[in-house]
This record gives sequence, structure tokens and C-alpha cells, in this order.
Amino acid sequence: MSDDSVPLALPLLRLTAGTSEVTTLYRELRKPLLRYLVCLGLTNDEAQDVVQDAFLSLQRHLASDGSRENIRGWLFRVAHNQARNRQTSYHRRFGEPLDGEMEFLSEEATPEQRVLEKEKFRRLAAAIRVLTESERECLLLRAEGLRYREIGDVLGIATSTVADTVERAIRKLAENCNV
Amino acid sequence: MCDVQVKLVAWLDGELSPEEAARVQRHVEQCRDCAGRLGAYEVVSKTFVGYCEAMAVEKTRSRLRRRVPVLAGAVVAAGVMVLVFPRMRISPPPIAPPTIATVSVPVTVSAPAPVLMPAAVEIAPRKTIHKRHVVAPIKEQSVEWQPTETAVQIAIPAEAMFAPGAMPRGMNFIAELSIAPDGSVKQVRLRQ
Repeated sequence: MSDDSVPLALPLLRLTAGTSEVTTLYRELRKPLLRYLVCLGLTNDEAQDVVQDAFLSLQRHLASDGSRENIRGWLFRVAHNQARNRQTSYHRRFGEPLDGEMEFLSEEATPEQRVLEKEKFRRLAAAIRVLTESERECLLLRAEGLRYREIGDVLGIATSTVADTVERAIRKLAENCNV
Repeated sequence: MCDVQVKLVAWLDGELSPEEAARVQRHVEQCRDCAGRLGAYEVVSKTFVGYCEAMAVEKTRSRLRRRVPVLAGAVVAAGVMVLVFPRMRISPPPIAPPTIATVSVPVTVSAPAPVLMPAAVEIAPRKTIHKRHVVAPIKEQSVEWQPTETAVQIAIPAEAMFAPGAMPRGMNFIAELSIAPDGSVKQVRLRQ
């Protein structure tokens, strides 16, 4: 996701005092949040709205002396809940095959490499469709670098449940897609 | 099935305690089956991250692709407007030099020296303003127009403007009138 495609959503935040912490978090977590939301099935515009809302909520949370523990998990949880409120059928979109021309591959990639990469993603997409909603969400949050404890905070489940779910999901993907 | 198999992903993710991680590592070094699984899990995990990245890029690109025709249409429409209505381009109005402009002044006003009228004299502005509207053919009477120049001065007793007793007796005000080219009063300035 290129920088120019993501308009800054901070003007409102800059108006209030004590925003340096939020600004730092915004720079660090905007892209992972957007990627997570887009993979959940939101459109790019929807994802950007949700991210902006999530950071405004964070601003209010910190301004009211809310807990600063596990802010990353807190942000993902807020964004996750907002995404679910906006779109209840998002889980059906994730796992769709990518129809594009794999423009994200480097220009040095040969046509053969492009075909292989596309085929690999096609098999993975098919395997993703077999996963449960909870397994998909755990893997998406894991792909954004969240620890199991943070994933548990986002989804409202125990850390041990996250570990079991992630392990089961990865095993399913490995068995089904042979990448 | 080895009992550490269910902990391979957590080991990959660094989520195990040091003791558990050491136990899994020792096992993987000896168990070919678990080592193979571990490799597959690693590849799948990387592919999954790549898929997420690709999906995000794909959606961004598709959004841009949807917007390009709209932008292109707007550019074409703007071009057509410029070609069809070339004379409608907005240009700033010419600014005339402020002081050098010679204006045919239709008004010739006798500007008497400030007249300090005695107190309690009634105001007779019509009698003190002598205007003569001059039509265009009389060009020899053109004078240089200076907007700031005072054309008429009128003395006004203070009693005529304020309530009796509000101002010292005998005080007058001078009203200075500037006349515009069309004969109307352009500016009125009141001074003591």
C-alpha cells in the first residue's frame, strides 16, 4: 500500500494538546491497521475511515487518562469492532482470488515467476476459505505482528485459545494449499 | 504424533517460555517429520503475509483504476470548455494610472478660502456651492482631476450640529467636499 494512496488523517488530532504519543502510534500502526481492515473485506475508503475513527477514539481514551497498557491491541480491537459494525459479511470476501496482474511483484520478476506466484496465492486463497472466521481473524492479526496476548485482547478470547487457533489455522493452510 | 507438534507455530512466533522453546528446538533437530512441518508452516506464514499485502495493494490499485476515468473525463471537459469558449477567459480589468489621468471634469467649482462664518449664521450650502455642469464640447475647460483635492468648504456653526450648551459658543466646523467627475459629492470631511 503506497504512501500516496493514504491521505493523512491527522489534522483533527493536531489541534489538541498531548498528541505526540498518538502521532507516533499513528505513523507506526496506520499501515498495519489499514492492511488488516482491507483484508477483513473493507474497501480502501472504508478502511481509512475506520482507522481515522480508531485514532480519534484513542485520542479521547488517552485524554481521559485511559489505560496505556497494550495500546496496539486496544487500537486493533477498536478498529476490528468498527469494521464488524460496518460490514457483517466481510468474512466472505477474504479468501477471494486476486484478479489483478500482480503489480506488487518487482519489475524484475519474470513472467514465469508471476504465474507461479499467482498460482500460489490462488491455492492459498482457496485454503483460506476453509478456515473459520476466528481462525482467519487470528491469522490476520498475527500477520500484522500482534502477539498472542494482543490478539486475545482484540478478539476478546484467552491467549491460550489464540495459540490453539493459530496453530490449527496454520496446519489447515499447510495441508490444503501445499505452497 | 509428536506432542510438540501443537507447539511448532507458537515456537515460530516466539510465544513459548524459554524452557518450552528449548525443548521444541531439541526435538525439531532430531525429528525429521516435525522439521518438515516447521518448514511448511514457515512458508505458509510468509505466503499468508504476502497475500495480505497483495490484497491491500490490489484494492488500492483497483480504487485508483476506478478514479482514472473520472479524472480523465474532467480534464477532457475542461479542455473542451477552453476551446469552445476562448473569449470567456477572465482577465483582470486594466488599471488606470491613479494621478496622471486627465479627466474632463464637468464641474467647475469655485473653491473659496475657508470662510469662518460668524456664530448663529444659518447654513446655506446651496448658496456656497457653485456647480456648473459642463458638457463634453467645452474641452478647454478641462482641468486635471485630483480626487483628494477639496473642492468646497462649508463653515457650519457648532450650534447647528449639537444641542445648545454642548459645545463652546462661537465654535465652527468646516465641511470639505470633494466632487467626483459626474458632479456628485465624492467625499465629505469634517474638521474643526
